[in-house]
Amino acid sequence: MGGVTGEVAPLAGAGHERPGPSEPALLEVTDLGLRFGGVKALDGVTFDVRRGELFAVIGPNGAGKTSIFNCINGVYRPQRGTIALEGTDLTKKGPAEIAGLGVSRTFQNLGLFENLSVVDNLMLGRHHLMRTGFLAGMVWWGRAKREEIEHREAVERVIELLELEPFRRQPAGKLPYGVQKRLELGRAIAMEPKLLLLDEPVAGMNLEESEDMARHILDVRDRLNLAMILVEHQMALVMDLADRVMAMDFGVPITVGTPEQVQGDQRVIDAYLGAAA
Amino acid sequence: MSSRRAPRVHGLMTRGYADDLRLFGSGKAKLGLLALVLAYLMLPFFLTSDFWLSVLDYAGIAAIGALGLNLLTGYTGQVSLGHAFFIGLGAYAAAQLGGPDALNLPLPLWLLGAAVFGALVGALIGPFALRLRGNYLAIVTLGLIFLGEHLFRNLKDVTGGNSGTNVDTTATLGGLDFKDLALLGENFSFNQGYFWLIWGLVGLVALLVKNLVRTRPGRALQAVRDRDVAAEVVGVQLGRYKVGAFAVSSGLAALAGALLGSYQQFVSPDEFSLFLSIQYIAIIIVGGVGTVFGSIVGALVLGGLPGLIDKYSASIPGVSTGSGDSGFISVFSLNQAIFGLLIVLFLVFEPRGLAAVWLRVKAYFKAWPFSY
Repeated sequence: MGGVTGEVAPLAGAGHERPGPSEPALLEVTDLGLRFGGVKALDGVTFDVRRGELFAVIGPNGAGKTSIFNCINGVYRPQRGTIALEGTDLTKKGPAEIAGLGVSRTFQNLGLFENLSVVDNLMLGRHHLMRTGFLAGMVWWGRAKREEIEHREAVERVIELLELEPFRRQPAGKLPYGVQKRLELGRAIAMEPKLLLLDEPVAGMNLEESEDMARHILDVRDRLNLAMILVEHQMALVMDLADRVMAMDFGVPITVGTPEQVQGDQRVIDAYLGAAA
Repeated sequence: MSSRRAPRVHGLMTRGYADDLRLFGSGKAKLGLLALVLAYLMLPFFLTSDFWLSVLDYAGIAAIGALGLNLLTGYTGQVSLGHAFFIGLGAYAAAQLGGPDALNLPLPLWLLGAAVFGALVGALIGPFALRLRGNYLAIVTLGLIFLGEHLFRNLKDVTGGNSGTNVDTTATLGGLDFKDLALLGENFSFNQGYFWLIWGLVGLVALLVKNLVRTRPGRALQAVRDRDVAAEVVGVQLGRYKVGAFAVSSGLAALAGALLGSYQQFVSPDEFSLFLSIQYIAIIIVGGVGTVFGSIVGALVLGGLPGLIDKYSASIPGVSTGSGDSGFISVFSLNQAIFGLLIVLFLVFEPRGLAAVWLRVKAYFKAWPFSY
């Protein structure tokens, strides 16, 4: 278990290099198809994400970006296709099991536990790494106490990484919006995932908050060396951060490539602005 | 951490995570705990009134049941109207396990046996009931009440049917007979002995529940309550934790029931009606949903209420105390009305209950005499 509990690489000059094509894929999505009744939410979606890569998915509203996330972490069950994480198919598994395999995510409209403190929210990120059951928890002395202290230390590292120190004891629901978004990122990385799904991490933020969040995302990528998939409408952020970008429209991928390639692609421009008649 | 402990600069300072996780960490909290323990130990020496002792004994039993319901409803967010059913189960289980005519098990075993029995029944019913949420779950658990009443009335060999059954349990622990306690050369009444037994168990159960909710399983329960989709995504198996909460809650209800039966020495099916369930819901709402402290405070305030109303009914105008007596409301209806009224008033004015009021008071005095 490296990640948050392990040795932390120095921040400055970590010098992220784009992972080369030779690197084996961590996540392979093949021919994914998802229907709600007669509506095709996803159709023939194929892409892969490598370790250490920041992969962005863009597209107009309703293009199926969040549906991809919901398929990967088991909230939706796709009718067609496979999602392989290090060779293990995820399409038949439930969300809790997929979390245990190393996939974590944040939600577009926040998925925090509002009545719990910042520390407790982060500790819940450690849930799948802990073992204390009902009986051991009630007894406290022994495993429960040992685990609480051990994982509290890991949580403290996340607090430090994301600068959440002033909020430790505050209930998550009472925090400012930008801090809530940051806390959710914190909960996701406290899970020590191999793959992190970020659903619109800067939605509704002002410029300053967005830049803070971008800095935190880069921090996380450089220090923890995990693969990330980013769904975001803020194009400037996507083009600055992403190693590769997939553009989608009406549930179908249009193109995959580097930010420069995708930005210049006529089909992407058409999808956003509408094609000239 | 170095072997020499750093001096504490002020009462709220912590030195490391173990310190931070202490339940009674600060000096004030330790003093409060000491005061409570002393009150618990000394009270029967000064309080001899059977009436007031019985009020406290009933309140203690209610506190144990309320801790169970609060775990399920307050911490896990699953509203149950079936709590009375499990309390009944525990009472009848105690009758079967504890008496000299029955299995004649010693005190710890019949108490534990009743709790485990309740938990097992809860674990069996849970997977079916907990597929539903919110109001639907409330309706299904309401069904449990009627199922239970039917069983209690008709399984005559076990429950004694409509006329009820005696619960003649032993109550001895390490040479101390709580029914007839002789201690330090003094003899204590049944009510005094049961005060020690019941409130000792309240302390134990409160500690167990508090530990549960501050560790991994308890956090998972609260995550299920706050946002179940997000809970699943961080790896909490919803079904497992909901059923677990239901089982522990039912086990505590059965424990309260076993104590109730043993204390009254008699139970009948009429006691385990919907009204009892609603009484427990009132206790946790008035005390504070999702708090251990609130369950006990709520039980102290409301658990003794039926007894108080009964005693003073003659002096409350408009209450009829018997047939032929003038008055527009019976003692039983007055009870129901008061519980209903308290639920409504607290939901409107202080949804977080007396526990929240206490927290406000405490926060005010934390920096006293400065206002912030």
